[in-house]
Amino acid sequence: MLVAMSETLTTNEYTDDLRYEVFNREFMPHIDSMYNFAFRLTMDEDDANDLVQDTYLKAFRFISSFEQGTNAKAWLFRILKNSFINDYRKKSKEPSKVDYQEVETTYNSEEASDTTYTVDLRADAVQELIGDEVANALNALPVDFRTVIILCDIEGFTYEEMAKILDIPIGTVRSRLHRARNLLKEKLKSYASSMGYDS
Amino acid sequence: MNASLTTPSMPEEAQKPIMKHNCEHRAECMKIIQAILDDEATEAEKDHFRENMDKCIPCIESYRLEKCIKDSLTLKIEKKPCPQSILDTIIKKINS
Repeated sequence: MLVAMSETLTTNEYTDDLRYEVFNREFMPHIDSMYNFAFRLTMDEDDANDLVQDTYLKAFRFISSFEQGTNAKAWLFRILKNSFINDYRKKSKEPSKVDYQEVETTYNSEEASDTTYTVDLRADAVQELIGDEVANALNALPVDFRTVIILCDIEGFTYEEMAKILDIPIGTVRSRLHRARNLLKEKLKSYASSMGYDS
Repeated sequence: MNASLTTPSMPEEAQKPIMKHNCEHRAECMKIIQAILDDEATEAEKDHFRENMDKCIPCIESYRLEKCIKDSLTLKIEKKPCPQSILDTIIKKINS
């Protein structure tokens, strides 16, 4: 935790009153987004509850490293993501223990990037899908790909904010997002076909 | 009727851009389309988009699809409120 947050570990003077004030004003308004992020990462209600609680308690404990006026939501998401990786991912119930590095290497290989990658999916078919079907397609992605889509498309973070939350360069954000969306299209295509929307 | 007062109309053919049915820059165009939809495109990418997107059928279709998927993710997926019990526990713990 301390290592992951090191770049923001500048000391800001907080009185006890200010700690509570900043916590309530800057952090609490994001609790619904944090809960949804936690749930989509862990895919488990109890784990999501614990993850949100742990994140907020850490945020309070390390509040002196939060600089007022900076993006509190991104700061909180970064703590949650780090807690997830350190504490929850190991016991994640996700069946696919995908070696992420391997996936990314495969997708980043010259062969893959040269391929004119297309999924035969029409916008009309996507429009027919209901929220649960879209959510299921998203949930079927390996967690690292799922994460970039959640951050970008559901939570509306910029690439720069995502780079900070995930501790990766912006170029990697772009390419990971691109590949995540291609994978998502494949999943959506399967749903659309199984529902008969794409015939 | 004075013919000189009527606005000469351009032949239909000349107004229509020539539509491309195949995109030879598919991978690059997909990156630009996504950057545009994410509001992260560079000026050069925006220029390229403005100049070319209405002439390429595969790119127009891709734009529609990507936008539709993004909108579905943004608007259709249910957002749950954080359970009150979590809020209560957090507040209790930071006050103890």
